[in-house]
Amino acid sequence: MIAELGHFALIVAFVTSLLVSVVPLVGVARGHQGWMQLAVPATLIMAGGVLISFACLLWGFVTSDFSVALVANHSHSAKPMIYKISGTWGNHEGSLLLWIVILVLFAAILALRGRNMDRELKTRTLAVQGIVTAAFLAFSLFTSNPFSRLSPAPLDGNGLNPILQDPGLALHPPMLYLGYVGLSMAFSFAVAGLLQGRIDASWARHVRPWVSAAWCALTVGIALGSWWAYYELGWGGWWFWDPVENASLMPWLAATALLHSVAVVASRDLFKSWTIFLAILAFSLSLVGTFIVRSGLLTSVHSFASDPARGVFILGILLFAIGIPLVLFAWRGPRMAGTNSLDLLSREFGLLINNFLLTAATVIVLIGTFYPLILEMVNGARITVGPPFFDATFNPVMGVLVACMAFGPVLAWRRGMLPAWRLVGLAALIGAVMVGMITLATVTDISPVGLVGIALTAWLGAAVLGDMAARLKPWQPTLLTGRLSGITTPMWGMWCAHFGMVVFLIGALGNGIFASEKVVRANPGDVFKLAGNDIHFTGVEARQGPNYVTQTAILDLRRGGTIIARLEPETRLYTAERQTTTEAAIRPRIDGDDYAVLGDGDATNGYTLRLYRKPLVSWIWTGAGMMALGGLIAAVGRNRRSDAVRASAEVTS
Amino acid sequence: MTSGNPQHEPRQPTGMRLAFLLPLIGFVILVGFAAMALVSTLSGKRDLAQLPSVLVGKPVPASTAPLLFNSTATLDLTAFAGQPILVNFFASWCAPCRAEAPALDVLSNDITIVGIAYKDKPADTRQFLSQYGNPFAAVALDRDGSLGLEWGVYGVPESYIIGPDGTVLLRHAGPIDRRVIDQEFMPIITGFK
Repeated sequence: MIAELGHFALIVAFVTSLLVSVVPLVGVARGHQGWMQLAVPATLIMAGGVLISFACLLWGFVTSDFSVALVANHSHSAKPMIYKISGTWGNHEGSLLLWIVILVLFAAILALRGRNMDRELKTRTLAVQGIVTAAFLAFSLFTSNPFSRLSPAPLDGNGLNPILQDPGLALHPPMLYLGYVGLSMAFSFAVAGLLQGRIDASWARHVRPWVSAAWCALTVGIALGSWWAYYELGWGGWWFWDPVENASLMPWLAATALLHSVAVVASRDLFKSWTIFLAILAFSLSLVGTFIVRSGLLTSVHSFASDPARGVFILGILLFAIGIPLVLFAWRGPRMAGTNSLDLLSREFGLLINNFLLTAATVIVLIGTFYPLILEMVNGARITVGPPFFDATFNPVMGVLVACMAFGPVLAWRRGMLPAWRLVGLAALIGAVMVGMITLATVTDISPVGLVGIALTAWLGAAVLGDMAARLKPWQPTLLTGRLSGITTPMWGMWCAHFGMVVFLIGALGNGIFASEKVVRANPGDVFKLAGNDIHFTGVEARQGPNYVTQTAILDLRRGGTIIARLEPETRLYTAERQTTTEAAIRPRIDGDDYAVLGDGDATNGYTLRLYRKPLVSWIWTGAGMMALGGLIAAVGRNRRSDAVRASAEVTS
Repeated sequence: MTSGNPQHEPRQPTGMRLAFLLPLIGFVILVGFAAMALVSTLSGKRDLAQLPSVLVGKPVPASTAPLLFNSTATLDLTAFAGQPILVNFFASWCAPCRAEAPALDVLSNDITIVGIAYKDKPADTRQFLSQYGNPFAAVALDRDGSLGLEWGVYGVPESYIIGPDGTVLLRHAGPIDRRVIDQEFMPIITGFK
């Protein structure tokens, strides 16, 4: 019954979404108030239908209703409750429904709030969001119905891919989807702007919170995915330039550019058509990110489900959801040129450089991801573009971006430099030269690329600190509090995010340059030396988990004779799925991780152990977290300020 | 394409207007290729993770490559005729290759494995083998990726099982693990014992 209710609610939502897509747009075009007003209640009904439907699917997973095919294929009665719940979106059909849930939730938030928004803009934005929702509801209902029944119902389920039974991965897709789908709001605003034929600073102020929220969620989502790959896949790496990873990086890069260009629209009424294009691009890349890996077009070590038959529908949606806006952009875009002039030495020009570099980086990742597919179609050859390609192309562009990032914040709007620039320039220069010299003096055989990377990181770090010092002037005898209150909340956000980039770079470089690793064949009693530690292998024992059995190796980590930690890497055999996973043992510390993986082996021939020392690796995710936090601080601060401005305007009027 | 009111429209040079078409053009090209790939996938000509490599059922490509540990000789797969072999494309820069190293180690007890270092510097390959163990009976160098092109390698790691008569029996894209060994490789390998 519950499953049928869910299916029915989904159909109701689909029909309502068709209404939302058509009626309000006709209303705006004809100036018919009643038709326009339909947008808000219809959006809420659509959202309600989808939410009920998702709750029904969740119910099916929680109660292990194996007469529902999806539950039978992806769950098991012996699974811990949290993974029964996360199993709801650990498969194609369920994750698609989660995607739609977020899509309608955002539409509902816009419908309920945004009272001070231009009526036509709000109506059009809701309608565009409705069109996107309708397309995905059709996809779900017609090709990926999550509520199909099985008869007869099996006694127990097939289980969830054990590699997905992990707390990091239970959270990773929802965060990533929040980011992807958050960009759908920017997209809907952009298409609505194209339909209006004009956008202005107020448009930018309404889009900005969505872009910020989406960007923060995307940052956290990608960081979680990378962290999961680091500790769960047991390869010791944190980024593999795999198509699935690239698919999430591309919208992030585009969203980062969008985040900065929206600021220019809001402050200077420039880059309008460019910002519209970025909004369309960012969401298009999100669509590509979510769905291309399920279409069987690209292979990836991460893709758990792909089906080429689904690809036809996906391609249709892409053609519809990206193609039409791009036609609209080619037609209406040219008339949206800004009216202000652009000075070479100005913050807007600095942000133009930022946008240029980020877009170039996006295109590089796009090419690296799709070039193999294109080449295969042209001459039938299948090739792979590995890390060497990205090291040679992506990294230099990011290097230039980091170099420029130091000076963006000290450029003034319209024209000129802020007074802080002298101190920032001096700090950056001294920081880069000093850290570079120290590196050269202390690290033997450092590669030129590594040295440049370290110097650039110091350059940016010193510049951010210099900027803070120039504005806070801690050396002045007067009270600091007066100057502290002069710093706006968004500025704290920017410092936090930019310094997060520094922390991220420290982690990436520290791990990339100074990591050490060892693969050994070990017998109980053996001792191995790695990066100043003695690792003592005492043996392997069998253990029992809730739905798996393990082989667990016991490793004692010693420094100078005393045991400082015990590492217990294991291989798990999931009994229901008859699959094994490796669980790395990680001792995370601020100065670096000790990381051990148990490979194959037995008592007579010894065991394969992989031992790593990964300096500063946790800084990678700390940095990403700081970036997301900075984005959040800036967004919240801006929101407060615009509320305050509005409140004072109401008082005076 | 000039509907709308010209009075409200800032005049744009034609070149500028064309720039606004570029995203659309780029998108159409990309979708075109994706559609082509999809059509060939649907018609069964193209399957990424599993078999139908164009090579399956055909003799192995004849081209040779220099060997890593013997600079005077080149790779000759016919030398292994009479027994099944596994040809494994790998690279030191490829993370999944590290992950499959222990599995290859185990597998080398059951079948002769020939490694082809794909787009890799010999020094890096040596380093990789000394760290992760060398399960290979021979390691050939494919520095420019031409061998990979000929075999139709999609990405590393990728493995092929060659029958005793020199025909390609199976292609596996992606890292090898216990499940792949047990379910895909062993049925073929034990068939020859």
